[in-house]
Amino acid sequence: MDTGPALVSILRQGSYLIASVHTALDDSQMVRFQQDLIEQIGQHRSRGVIIDVAALDVLDSFGSKTLRNISEMARLRGATTVIVGIQPDVAFAMVALGMSTGSVPTALDLEEGLAYLHDRVHTGPSAVTGSSLS
Amino acid sequence: MDENSGIDTRTEADFLTHDAQVDEELLPQLVAHLREHRSRLREEWASRIQEAHLLHAMTPQEMAVETKSVYDNYVEVLETGSVEALQDYARDLSERIIPRGVETQEVVGIVLLLRDVLARSLFEKYQRDFGLLNRVLDAYEPAANRIANTVAVSFVDERERIIRQQQDAIRELSTPVLPVRERLLILPIIGVLDSERARQLTEQLLAGIRTHRAKVVVMDITGAPDVDETVANHLVQTVDASRLMGASVIITGLSPKIAQTLVTIGVDLSKMNTIGDLQGGLEEAERLLGYTVSRQVGSAG
Amino acid sequence: MSAGQPADALSESGSQSDVAALVPVIRRFVHSRVSNEAVADDIVQETLVRMLAAAGRVEPGMVEPYAIITARNLIASMWKEQERHRRNQHRIVDLRSPESPDEGLLQQEDKGAVAEALERLSERDRRTLMAHEVAGQDTQSLAGELGVTAGAVAAQLNRSRARLRVEYLLALEPGTALTDRCRPVLFALSGGDRRRQREVDAARHLLECDLCEKLSQPLLERGQRSDGEVRIRIRADADIVLARQTAREVAARLEFSRTDLTVIATAVSEIARNVVRFTDGGEVVVELLEEPRRGVRIVARDTGPGIADVEAALVDGYSTYHGLGLGLPGARRLMDEFAVVSEMGRGTTVTMTKWRQEG
Repeated sequence: MDTGPALVSILRQGSYLIASVHTALDDSQMVRFQQDLIEQIGQHRSRGVIIDVAALDVLDSFGSKTLRNISEMARLRGATTVIVGIQPDVAFAMVALGMSTGSVPTALDLEEGLAYLHDRVHTGPSAVTGSSLS
Repeated sequence: MDENSGIDTRTEADFLTHDAQVDEELLPQLVAHLREHRSRLREEWASRIQEAHLLHAMTPQEMAVETKSVYDNYVEVLETGSVEALQDYARDLSERIIPRGVETQEVVGIVLLLRDVLARSLFEKYQRDFGLLNRVLDAYEPAANRIANTVAVSFVDERERIIRQQQDAIRELSTPVLPVRERLLILPIIGVLDSERARQLTEQLLAGIRTHRAKVVVMDITGAPDVDETVANHLVQTVDASRLMGASVIITGLSPKIAQTLVTIGVDLSKMNTIGDLQGGLEEAERLLGYTVSRQVGSAG
Repeated sequence: MSAGQPADALSESGSQSDVAALVPVIRRFVHSRVSNEAVADDIVQETLVRMLAAAGRVEPGMVEPYAIITARNLIASMWKEQERHRRNQHRIVDLRSPESPDEGLLQQEDKGAVAEALERLSERDRRTLMAHEVAGQDTQSLAGELGVTAGAVAAQLNRSRARLRVEYLLALEPGTALTDRCRPVLFALSGGDRRRQREVDAARHLLECDLCEKLSQPLLERGQRSDGEVRIRIRADADIVLARQTAREVAARLEFSRTDLTVIATAVSEIARNVVRFTDGGEVVVELLEEPRRGVRIVARDTGPGIADVEAALVDGYSTYHGLGLGLPGARRLMDEFAVVSEMGRGTTVTMTKWRQEG
């Protein structure tokens, strides 16, 4: 249920997976996280995935791209992904860096993320008011 | 070197203590003199200030109070050698007189006048013993310069602090993040946006989104006369960053001119949620938040 | 009594504690006149020792002036003191491994190295150095002989010592091939001359030259390290995280806003990743600036293949690995100043600066 020395935890909650990043990750740890998460989505046939990145110091191009990859692969396995906990300074640096592609849904925190998945997974995409980077 | 330097040391040490003793006797003498003739010297100083047309922002009564304090503080520095009390007083005085438009040169001017008045009186007292006068001035002048310097620096520091404070206040006033109701923020942008202000606006908004757990932000730019490309870019980044934190941004009051600028820098306006006026924006916001809108305007509902 | 432990000795008896009370006074006096910390400390200690020795002979009330005069005389004869101090200092590397049976041999080698190093110096360097360090001639009289100022002699002595240190280290590495860049770089490092180091591009040479990288360690260790500058070796993924976290910590000393700190860390992450992905390794140097404004400068150097078309690499979407091509252009957008210098086959240097928003 984890990806090494507590860098990341992945918890199963009903049909959702909640993945929390606990510290700054380097690129290889990011890739390993991606593999573990995708594997577990398949294992548990999860419908929704929340990735909590509140503890990440930065989301640079590689980090953002990994999150988008996860979201895309999860979608192919039938799960909706929402990223939560992006801090104000991290959000600012991300857009200043110029990350303008992708459409991973985002929410303020875990609570909002769960609410988002609840709307999305149970009532279908049309009722969704959540936000995403377009 | 041990034997030789031992002998040298003695003679030089004697000389040094002799020198120090003279200084130690002189300053108290000097201070006593300035205390004894306090009222006369202070009056002379006050009239010199008037002649020089300094501090006319102050009433004669205020002037009398302040000159008294400055004089006493001045003598105290000569006596104790510590400028701390003077520094505090100068800062306090500056805080009181800066809002009334007192300028740096006035403050420096009055301190230099006091320095001259006192130096002149020392001249008169010691003029018969030229050697002693020299030593008195040697003791007085460094202290007097230090005082002038302390007062000037305190004044300028205080002035800068006040200016900074005012700038902050103005900036905050001009970019308020208003929580109108649960999960909804309004950000009215009024006045000219330069890139520094645009940047602060973004930081404030992002922090506000977190504090108020906002899901929708209405950014009203009716009051922003013009934006250049840099600032337009910044606005777009603000919208994107807000989305990353889970909040949707509705832009209202977009003038054709600003819309043009946005298109020029390659912004796809169809991807921005823009509504004509603030009222419409608020209704759209409530719709997004899932509230029932009682007054429906146009196709907003 | 040894000069190394007077503080404990001072508190032993009553009259000696008078002397202890002098420590701050003497310290202030000496440090205001002698800029070199180590030398100043030596003089303070020496003064205390002498005061203790003279404690019985000095009248009460005279202790302080006596101490100051003693310190003054000691400073005046500083060259004599420094002869001892410097003779130890320019040996830089302590080769005596403790209790080694080879000690004698090593000492022999050490002496040989010093002799060889002296041999390599110019006639003028060697003569001045010997006159000053061995014969004990002071700068004033040397200046008179050479027809220059004492300051010029001191500067020349410093340069000569810097050269001697380098030649000594080189003499201990017989048979190694030097490029024509090695000596200028080592001299600049040994002399602690920042401007000269930049002129000869010392940092890049150290990345390329194993010998100089090795020799630079003892040379840099002896000089005072500026705490406003931190270097991080970049070889693997984990170094990217270390580099960006270090940059954030260093920049935080200037009280950048939290947003700015994250912006800086993100930019460092991007350029450090380029080093890991495209080259065998390199370094990231984080440096605080005071002039012309306060800010932080980050320099990333690598010994990679170089970038053929820097202009193209600065355009969004340029990418040779499976990234987003945001590395260089993204970092440029994040920082206030940004420059890339690349030489094919030698490597790339990215220099970027973030200024502190004042007000």
